[in-house]
Amino acid sequence: MRRTAALFLTALLTAALLTGCGGAGAPVSQQPARASDQVIIAMDPNSEPAAGFDPAFGWGAGEHVHEPLIQSTLTVTNTDLTIGYDLATGYTVSEDGLTWTVTIRYDVSFTDGEPLTAQDVAFTYNIVKTSSSVNDFTMLDYAEATDETTVVFHMTRPFSIWPYTMAIVGIVPEHAYDPATYGSAPIGSGRYILKQWDRGQQVILEANPDYYGQAPQMRQVTILFMEEDAAFLAAQAGQVDVAYTSATYSDQAIDGYTLAAYGSVDNRGFNLPAVSAGTDGEGRTVGNDLTADVRVRRAINIGVDRQEMIDNVLNGYGSPAYSVCDGLPWYNEASEVAYDPDGAAALLDEAGWLLSGDGYRYKDGVRAELELLYSTGDSVRQALCADFADQMEELGIACTIRGVGWDTAYTDALSTPLIWGWGAHTPMELYNIYHTIGTTGSAQYSPYANAAVDAYMDAALASTDLEASYELWQKAQWDGTTGVTQEGDVPWVWLVNVDHLYWVRDGLQIAEQKIHPHGHGWSIVNNVDQWRWG
Amino acid sequence: MRTSNRRRSTLSFLLAAAAALAVVTVVGILLTETAMETDFSRTGLPPSLDALFGTDWMGRDMFARTLSGLSLSIRIGLLTAAISAAVALALGIVSAVCGGLVDAAISWCIDLVMGIPHILLVMLISIACGRGFTGVVMGVALSHWTSLARVVRGEVIQLRQAPYILTAQKLGVSRAGIVRRHLLPHLLPQFLTGLVLLFPHAILHEASVTFLGFGLSSERPAIGAILSESMRYLTTGKWWLALFPGLSLVLVVMLFALLGDRLRRLLDPASVHG
Repeated sequence: MRRTAALFLTALLTAALLTGCGGAGAPVSQQPARASDQVIIAMDPNSEPAAGFDPAFGWGAGEHVHEPLIQSTLTVTNTDLTIGYDLATGYTVSEDGLTWTVTIRYDVSFTDGEPLTAQDVAFTYNIVKTSSSVNDFTMLDYAEATDETTVVFHMTRPFSIWPYTMAIVGIVPEHAYDPATYGSAPIGSGRYILKQWDRGQQVILEANPDYYGQAPQMRQVTILFMEEDAAFLAAQAGQVDVAYTSATYSDQAIDGYTLAAYGSVDNRGFNLPAVSAGTDGEGRTVGNDLTADVRVRRAINIGVDRQEMIDNVLNGYGSPAYSVCDGLPWYNEASEVAYDPDGAAALLDEAGWLLSGDGYRYKDGVRAELELLYSTGDSVRQALCADFADQMEELGIACTIRGVGWDTAYTDALSTPLIWGWGAHTPMELYNIYHTIGTTGSAQYSPYANAAVDAYMDAALASTDLEASYELWQKAQWDGTTGVTQEGDVPWVWLVNVDHLYWVRDGLQIAEQKIHPHGHGWSIVNNVDQWRWG
Repeated sequence: MRTSNRRRSTLSFLLAAAAALAVVTVVGILLTETAMETDFSRTGLPPSLDALFGTDWMGRDMFARTLSGLSLSIRIGLLTAAISAAVALALGIVSAVCGGLVDAAISWCIDLVMGIPHILLVMLISIACGRGFTGVVMGVALSHWTSLARVVRGEVIQLRQAPYILTAQKLGVSRAGIVRRHLLPHLLPQFLTGLVLLFPHAILHEASVTFLGFGLSSERPAIGAILSESMRYLTTGKWWLALFPGLSLVLVVMLFALLGDRLRRLLDPASVHG
């Protein structure tokens, strides 16, 4: 009997532990008095730079791009994602696109007092070229300083969007750079100095008193790394001024805080393998017999109700996505399509997939079936995947969904649609997704090839005029006869751009945000120097 | 008189518990389709008559998810316990009968596996086998045979000196014959009890490894997956996502533990004292 009692008590205890203290209790108290030039921000633990604040190891220039804050960059991206200057005072590119000459300011010093010269710039680029494991710098041959304020980049191939790369590479001092220690004790010339870094907990940034530009209004910026539920509770307890959050929490309310939603190009979409199933040289399954038919891909593109997805999964916090670069200067508006289930059904009929009595479509006795993949552990992608599957079932395509880890996802995606997240402040993303690579004759992530699309992107990269190249990037998407949009090949179907949500303490004025790229992290603090209270 | 009553009541408890678990298993299998169905028009509903255990953030019915999760857990438990027990029986007997180098090697393996924390071993094997159903089954099965193997080995070593075994040896009965005719029947009670007592371990470990993200895939309605998903929603007050699945898991595990306990009393009457 004692054993039974013990078991019962264990059960009770477990249940109590499992449920925790459910129920959002009454929000707590007002914040302690805080100086008007300080701000505390809660960020996702994944945002903490594992290798420190070293541009060569992904700081600013990694998978999720943002301004490096501690270091200066040559150029910056403006709010409309065109190019502006930071250290640079001007740049020119040679006719063949292989030589970039950039002049820089002469009045900039590192925080250790040493002047920043073209030599440091050349040093930085040569370092990131050799050691960056996260970014592609193969287009750069080498950089050299021709005098104190002029740096020349020698390229291996024309790369018209080089200014976008220059906007994310922070300049490090040649005299004080040691790859082993720089990440944890960075010296830069940017708006902020790294004052303290407690790994796994927080980063404290302090304004650089000798900054050459406009002095930062926020003197101290503290960034706490915490899980989403902890960030929510920290905001409830009044311990942070800004806390990242997601649609999961958007139906909650916190006294003294407002839910701020920032538009993003942080999109989600499925790749639709554009060739029939087969095996490639490495023995991988490549292609998908259903999505190999362009009419099926077109039907999927117009047969999905993006607004319903936003309302269902994102609680309304998102915008429909029609391309990988919605709203950016190189976006082609021809990508936009209207939801048209009848049109989608007609396309499927035309493709020979006819509706049967059981609600599914068949062609030659084969049922239209699609397996959809999502990355395990990402509840938003899982829900988008499930919603997409429901919508495809309505079109008569039988869907199953499966969670995969990133260790196998890239290979699986060659034959099976996977839900991806993209969105960067550079047109290079179009190239990475749609351009064929190497000798395979197929795009990197999902089998697809179109010589015309390739040619436009090659021409865009070879262009010597950045502004003019935007039009070529747009033509790569749709030139009136071919492209990757609805009337073209549709090798990817884009679903939604996920708004980046934050709890913001009342009274804090967050400066105007650039459209956020993929990655719900450091982008918010790109202009933290211009935030103010009151 | 008293003893026979107790035996009878124990027996009826055994049958009732086994029947309950069987019903959960079968109903769970039947509900798997429902458990995976999403309905975004009814997300995050608290428990009501319409949805007994509420619904989750994709509008899936938590009652169906809980039952099919339990069913999956029980099936995995049965499979892994059976594999584990078979491995334990074979190794235990071989170890004790052969002795010498074989015994040393097997004992060393037992110590090795026992020396590594279970959950770590389950995770490692599961990852190595590609996660998912195979990963979990292999992970749990390959890490749970040790204690039963030890019991079997000890029992056999003790039996080897029993007069009737020694006599059989003297009469020239082969080793295999002794094992089959004399050892196995004698080991049956310990073996059956050990088998049933493996279930709760297997089920809990399956749930934990899935909870930690190294087990079953997250679209499968498994209790571990359900509990790990519910963690995200606890701070927003959706308590029903964790409470019911957690409680039912505990209940099933308790049922199995009691089942094993009662079975031991039935098969090993010497320990029935109070």
